[in-house]
Amino acid sequence: MAEIRFEKVCKFFDKARIIEDLDLTIQDGKFTVLVGASGCGKTTLLRMIAGIGPATSGHIYMDGKEITDVAPSKRDIAMVFQNYAIYPTMTVRENIEFGLKNKKVPKAEREALIKEYAEIVGLTEYLDRKPGTLSGGQRQRIALARAMVKKPAVFLMDEPLSNLDAKLRVQMRTELIELHNRLKTTFVYVTHDQVEAMSMADVIVLMNKGQIMQEASPEDIYNDPNNVFTAQFIGTPPMNIVDMPDGNKMGFRPEKVKMSDVPVQGCYCHKGEILTREMLGSETLYKIDCGEYTFMVKTDKPDFAMGEKVFIHVANEHLYFFDAEGQRIRKTDGENQYAQLLQNAGGMSNV
Amino acid sequence: MYQLKRRFVNYLPNLFSDILKLICVVVFVFPFYWMIITSFKTYGEAIQVPPTLWPKNFTFIAYSNIYNMGINFWQYAQNSVIVTAGVIILQCLVMIPAAYSFAKRQFVGKGIAWAIVISALMIPGTCTYVPIYMVMAKAGLIPSLWPQIIPHGCNVFGIFMLRQAFKQVPDELLESARLDSATELQIVCRIMLPMAKAALITICLFSFIGTWNSYFWPLVMTNNDKYRPLTMYIERVQDADVGNKWNQVMAANVLLVGPVLVIYLFASQKIIQAFTYNGVK
Repeated sequence: MAEIRFEKVCKFFDKARIIEDLDLTIQDGKFTVLVGASGCGKTTLLRMIAGIGPATSGHIYMDGKEITDVAPSKRDIAMVFQNYAIYPTMTVRENIEFGLKNKKVPKAEREALIKEYAEIVGLTEYLDRKPGTLSGGQRQRIALARAMVKKPAVFLMDEPLSNLDAKLRVQMRTELIELHNRLKTTFVYVTHDQVEAMSMADVIVLMNKGQIMQEASPEDIYNDPNNVFTAQFIGTPPMNIVDMPDGNKMGFRPEKVKMSDVPVQGCYCHKGEILTREMLGSETLYKIDCGEYTFMVKTDKPDFAMGEKVFIHVANEHLYFFDAEGQRIRKTDGENQYAQLLQNAGGMSNV
Repeated sequence: MYQLKRRFVNYLPNLFSDILKLICVVVFVFPFYWMIITSFKTYGEAIQVPPTLWPKNFTFIAYSNIYNMGINFWQYAQNSVIVTAGVIILQCLVMIPAAYSFAKRQFVGKGIAWAIVISALMIPGTCTYVPIYMVMAKAGLIPSLWPQIIPHGCNVFGIFMLRQAFKQVPDELLESARLDSATELQIVCRIMLPMAKAALITICLFSFIGTWNSYFWPLVMTNNDKYRPLTMYIERVQDADVGNKWNQVMAANVLLVGPVLVIYLFASQKIIQAFTYNGVK
């Protein structure tokens, strides 16, 4: 169990500034997911926690103790790498045992631990095989067992599911959630996949260009985004964003849009023509040409055809407003201003 | 019939290369064959014209003759074994840490240090005889086996090859090992070396052959039969007064080359592995 705190952390690679003056607290016992596009600094943060990629400046604390310059082996952490990083010349057993042996755990205890964790990840019958003879999913489990057996205070995972096929990924996802529920330790998980982040996290930390865009629960980050970047990064397809005449921006989620054959009064409503239609099973995805913009619409109504003329409308409570810099304008920021924005949005309707 | 013809037509492009391979095999293998069968001939048959391709009287007389010549074979053999083992052990002790730090560690002056190491490859070995002899003589080491071991302790080509092999080990493995509380020594011994096994075996084998067969170096560096290796034993077996007893010279050669052949046969698979890039994990 451990809380991790970053204080004014910077990381430069040569001249490139990857992370600058970053402050972040990762809560004890929570499943925290660092998510963002490639190169946003999320893996760099993870490697700082592990101690294998030290910060250029700033401080990192674990449970209040500074660990900025502590050796990786003395940090009580375990890490699962993207390519698993299991030792190819050792058997599964030796892979799991390696860290315990180095920590001078007695043999009898080691045996018991290996047996216990091999069972948890379902590798008991493969203990004497070399990793090269196992599948991707099984290798992933070796990496997990190797991390778990050390009983660390913090689990670090660097895109551990990205090398698995889609079906296995979904399965491992639920297994990781169960694992977290069982161990109740701090998990820090890095991914670029927002679906993974949404489905697994207690707390999502969304990053962009070394900055934290928002830190919130999946529900909040989806329903109450702080800025345009967050609004567009989380959710598939991303939020539709429209420039307003007053310089602000308006956004609405594709799944909150209603479609009809006739215009609707009292909300944002726009006529358009269906460009593409993707049937996804329970939902259907439409791309709609509304003149200046094309909007994505996700609805449970599959019965509109390509080329059909329709009206889209979004209820006022599903409209989001952002200022010119992309920062969110909430109702709590000023009732009058918000009412004005709503009125402007209604004025943008085109029927 | 048709199938036979098709197989022949398909094979035709390979015919030429197969013939070349066969010629190569004969060129390389025949001297060994000749050495071995001559060692089992009598002296008369060994110098007979036309020569025989297989001994008429298969005999061990050459071996027993050289054994009874009054030259202490075992002393020479022991020197060869000690020198060769010493060189290989010393080379490993120098080469493995050097290759590891050049491949995986960052330190100040790494580029310059590497350039210096590599530039050692450009110095012709013959230039080093006299200076090294003088150093050894000044140190009072000439009446010992050390002059045959110490100067070969640093195998630059070996450092180069092993560094390449170490570079192929992903950094994540090392990071993972560090998280697993492994020391640098454990990382090298448990992770790096097992993954670079083929390269290491190849380097050691080359060192073995080079040291085992070296003749001129021990000739310069020794002044007493007590410290001379097997290659110089062959020289002793040759008798300049009555002409060479070729069957005996060849018998001595078999004794010299035998261990190399045996070890090479065991290690050849590893050598091929080390020299061909293995793309399949």
